[in-house]
Amino acid sequence: MNEKIDDPFGMTSMVNTWMKSMGDLWGSGAGQWGAFPGQQQAGTTAGNSTTPKAQAAMAATLKNWQSMAGAMATPASMTALFKGSGAMPEVLLKLAQTSMGSFMEMQQNMIQRVGRMGDSAKAYQFQDIDENMFRVWTDIYEKEFRQFFQIPQLGLMRTYQEKANVVADKYNLFQSTLSEFLSLLGLPFSRSMQVMQEKLGEMAENGELTDDTKVYYNMWVKVLEGHFMTLFQTPEYVETLTRTVNALADFSAARDAAFEDMLSLLPVAKKTEMDDMARELYELKKRLRKLEKAQK
Amino acid sequence: MSQTKIPVDLILSKLAEDAERAQSRARKASEVLLDDLDTELAQTAYEVVYQEDRVKLKHYLPRTKICYKTPLLVTYALINRETMLDLQPGRSVVERFLAAGIDLYMIDWGYPTRKDRFLGFDDHINGYMDNIVDFIREKHQVEKINLMGICMGGTFSVIYSALHPDKIKNLITTVTPTNFDTKKGLLHVWMENIDVDRVVDTYGNLPADMMNLGFLLLNPARLMIDKYVGFTENMDNKQFVENFVRMEKWIFDSPDLPGEVFRQFIKDCYQGNKLIQSKLEVDGKRVDLKKLTMPLLNIYGKYDHLVPPEACEQLVHHVGSKDTEDICLNTGHIGIYVSSKYQEAFAPKIASWLKERDALPEKRAPRKKAPATKSAGASRKALQGKKTPKKSAPKKAGPKISRAGALPETTNG
Repeated sequence: MNEKIDDPFGMTSMVNTWMKSMGDLWGSGAGQWGAFPGQQQAGTTAGNSTTPKAQAAMAATLKNWQSMAGAMATPASMTALFKGSGAMPEVLLKLAQTSMGSFMEMQQNMIQRVGRMGDSAKAYQFQDIDENMFRVWTDIYEKEFRQFFQIPQLGLMRTYQEKANVVADKYNLFQSTLSEFLSLLGLPFSRSMQVMQEKLGEMAENGELTDDTKVYYNMWVKVLEGHFMTLFQTPEYVETLTRTVNALADFSAARDAAFEDMLSLLPVAKKTEMDDMARELYELKKRLRKLEKAQK
Repeated sequence: MSQTKIPVDLILSKLAEDAERAQSRARKASEVLLDDLDTELAQTAYEVVYQEDRVKLKHYLPRTKICYKTPLLVTYALINRETMLDLQPGRSVVERFLAAGIDLYMIDWGYPTRKDRFLGFDDHINGYMDNIVDFIREKHQVEKINLMGICMGGTFSVIYSALHPDKIKNLITTVTPTNFDTKKGLLHVWMENIDVDRVVDTYGNLPADMMNLGFLLLNPARLMIDKYVGFTENMDNKQFVENFVRMEKWIFDSPDLPGEVFRQFIKDCYQGNKLIQSKLEVDGKRVDLKKLTMPLLNIYGKYDHLVPPEACEQLVHHVGSKDTEDICLNTGHIGIYVSSKYQEAFAPKIASWLKERDALPEKRAPRKKAPATKSAGASRKALQGKKTPKKSAPKKAGPKISRAGALPETTNG
């Protein structure tokens, strides 16, 4: 009864069966390898002494796998295995909870945004800049996803892997910042359209509508220009612009560093090497010119 | 309830007319665009008389008798190209200077490559510019030359003239930023926060495309939309297309900006505003504006969105010269040089201003150069005896003349 509650899907018996079949597989494999050396030895009378050793090693490995599979298939091992695997859903649940929390935050923002959609557009007013949607996404990335790219790397390739992770991280940061920036640049368009609708409404009411489409275009461009000029001076825009430029520079630097590693495998000079040489040349020329001037 | 009357029928018929016109324009436009277009820039004849690294000195071939004793050196900015002063025949500041009889030289800064990233203010001002000035002085056997600077080239000219006042007879600054503590221009607002070290350390030089995008973002409605709408409306007009393409060629013919120049320009000028306070240092020497004792003509545009009047107008109040003239034109940053209306006023004004101050010859004794760091002071002392007496200064240019809007007005650009 208890067993059924702990393992409602019969996972224990299923894995047990699979383990037993795996044990049989490794066993038969080991048997075949045992038969194989005899035939091989007959054909290699020239005396390749390494072949029997390799075959013996392979047979031993397969036997090891067979015994391990057998050991794992015992009831005691299976219980231990399932105890350990119980931890996995907890990890997943935790991950899901944090991610869901962030998405809830974004959803709440979206609801607020939808709520604001009914408000009439205030011409040339940018106090309620609504770039929060993209800011929230950047926050989510920074809080939740970024950490995965910062997991310490180990082993021989750690430096390269770490650089690749930095490139991915900086690229994601740049993309999210760029989205914020572009969404800001889109604001004057949507607002100028709303202002135009209001203006056209007023003109229609006053019977001032004209049949010259150029007039409407000129009006729109003027309104758009005004909105841009106002937006460009807001601290939000300046701050987002600065962050975007910085994010692009960071990404470019990370990308260059990763490329330099690849370039070191090729017979070409790296950017940093060229820069070093240029600096030396620059300093030499400068000293030479000073000496020349002093001599005149 | 009153019902709004909308002339839908009129609007629709107008739209149909517009569509027909657009179709016919497109037909003609294809003929124009496939035709041979004259979109060459900088067609006035010149010869390269001096070259150092990527920097060249152009000497324009005189078209008439030279009427000025002192040659004029024009220093353009490191952003965009000096070809703007010679856009096309009939629309060229260079042509007008030559027609006035000015012996004209112009610096072509070339296209900096990555190896030029370490070149800063000192290398450009005390290096290239000083060598060029010396070359011209030597060639013409004169003690001083006239110097005209444009935009950042004007800032360089101000710095140069303050560091080498013994070599400059008259200084002309046009759309030249010297006071950076203003919120009027968007560049001034944006540059306050930029992390210039991060940009320069990453890119070496400031990429031209990044700069161009920044300039377009100063007014996207006009520069990215309206401009091209205007083009489509006139693309059946060959002359319009030629002028438009020529301007496009100039705008997007942008060299990268040497990294160290950009770093110093942003840190010391835009963020530190050191120049106007005479606190800027180049190669360890302070740039003291009080040393600008030569006549100064300062011209700028009222509607300049890159270098607003507030960035230019303070210069005349901080220099040591008593012969200064301040002219604010009702135009924009580029309009000063390319608008047909100002073509007729801007260059002739400079020519006449120089003519008035060209009266006294300044024959230079054979030079015996001292080390660069000492020559300025030494020459200055030697020249004090020869200094042009104030009474010989032109009547119009009395002490601290400061005039605004002296030239005819026009709209932006």
